[in-house]
Amino acid sequence: MDIKEYISSGIIESYVLGLASPEERSEFEQLCLVYPELAAARTEFEIALENRLMDLAVAPAEETKKKVMDSLRQQSSVNQTKIITMEKANTTRSSSSLRWVAAASVILLLGCVYLAYSFYSKNKKLESELTKTRDEQNKVKDQLKQLEMLTDPNVAVVNLKGTEKAPNTSASVYWDSTSASVYLVVKNMPQLPNDKQYQLWSIINGPGGQLQPSSMGLFDVGADGKIILKIDKGAKKADAFAITIEKRGNTGGPTLDSLQAMGKPNL
Amino acid sequence: MLQQRDENAFSYLYDNYCGALLGIVNSIITNKEISNDVLQNVFVNIWKKIGSYDPSKGRLFTWMLNIARNAAIDEVRSKGYRDGQKNQSFPENVDIQVARAVTGPAIADVGLRKVLTQLKEELRVLIDLSYFQGFTHEEIAKIQDIPLGTVKTRIRTALIQLRSLIK
Repeated sequence: MDIKEYISSGIIESYVLGLASPEERSEFEQLCLVYPELAAARTEFEIALENRLMDLAVAPAEETKKKVMDSLRQQSSVNQTKIITMEKANTTRSSSSLRWVAAASVILLLGCVYLAYSFYSKNKKLESELTKTRDEQNKVKDQLKQLEMLTDPNVAVVNLKGTEKAPNTSASVYWDSTSASVYLVVKNMPQLPNDKQYQLWSIINGPGGQLQPSSMGLFDVGADGKIILKIDKGAKKADAFAITIEKRGNTGGPTLDSLQAMGKPNL
Repeated sequence: MLQQRDENAFSYLYDNYCGALLGIVNSIITNKEISNDVLQNVFVNIWKKIGSYDPSKGRLFTWMLNIARNAAIDEVRSKGYRDGQKNQSFPENVDIQVARAVTGPAIADVGLRKVLTQLKEELRVLIDLSYFQGFTHEEIAKIQDIPLGTVKTRIRTALIQLRSLIK
């Protein structure tokens, strides 16, 4: 803002003489705080006006002063007690209103804290529900895939028959030879001690009748004896699938003595 | 004690400023008796409202001057005042009030009004309507049948000239 232009715009005279609009007044008062030269120019005009009006003074009637002073004394004596009570009322009112404000603030704060906490815990709950839902969704997706596997004509079902050592074993391999993906469905196998794991093998009849087993992965079976697994390692070719019991984390070949189940695909 | 001291201070305030404030009241109200009554009320109001005076917004005299001007305008606009003016009746109608303002019964060119006679007529009329009669810019635009923007510009022009006139 060009303050010099503002100063000479007539706003000072307008303000001092009470002709400025409320908006102009508040703008002027704020600008006075920012521009000392504006306030100084205002004072200059005020003094000029004051001096001029002092020169133009007209003496009032003599009794006017007496009337004024009488009126003040009357007001004072009437208001003496009133003033005190009013002040009291004022202070109590202001302090009680302060108290109200304070009380309201505390209530507001408590309300905010409660809301924040409530939002926070709701959010937490929603987050955990979301995770749960996602997990469930993935599970359902897996199950759907498994169902698809079952109905896919390319998928061969290989029933693994329990050996003499484990006659109650019931397990199947779902094998998609085109995509090489393998699912293992265990319906009934006993839970093993902690140091043991089951291991699934795919077996190829090598040249000269040599069996070439290759590990499809180790797995655990829970107390209910059931599990459905997607085998990460695929099998393009397999003449048989077998399950053995091995020591946990086995990296060697199969222990044929502990063969639990075996089956051949009906190709 | 305090009361007494306040009274003494106020008595001094009265002695010092009563004449200047009556000068303003007189340039709005011709009847001396009424203007003295108004002056009395002005000082009672100053006494009552002195707590609300804010020195950062202007000088004490300016504050008192505005109380005096407003009180005088309020008095002129009061029913009692209008009824008291036997020779005329001033209905609420703004245009008729203005006719009075512009043409007549002219308030003698006393006090600040005398200073204003040095202004061009078209500017003097606007100061008369706004400062001495308390009409808003909008009312003046209607009364004078000139655009609001022109009213504002002319009043500003008049005020700037007034500044050099009172120095």
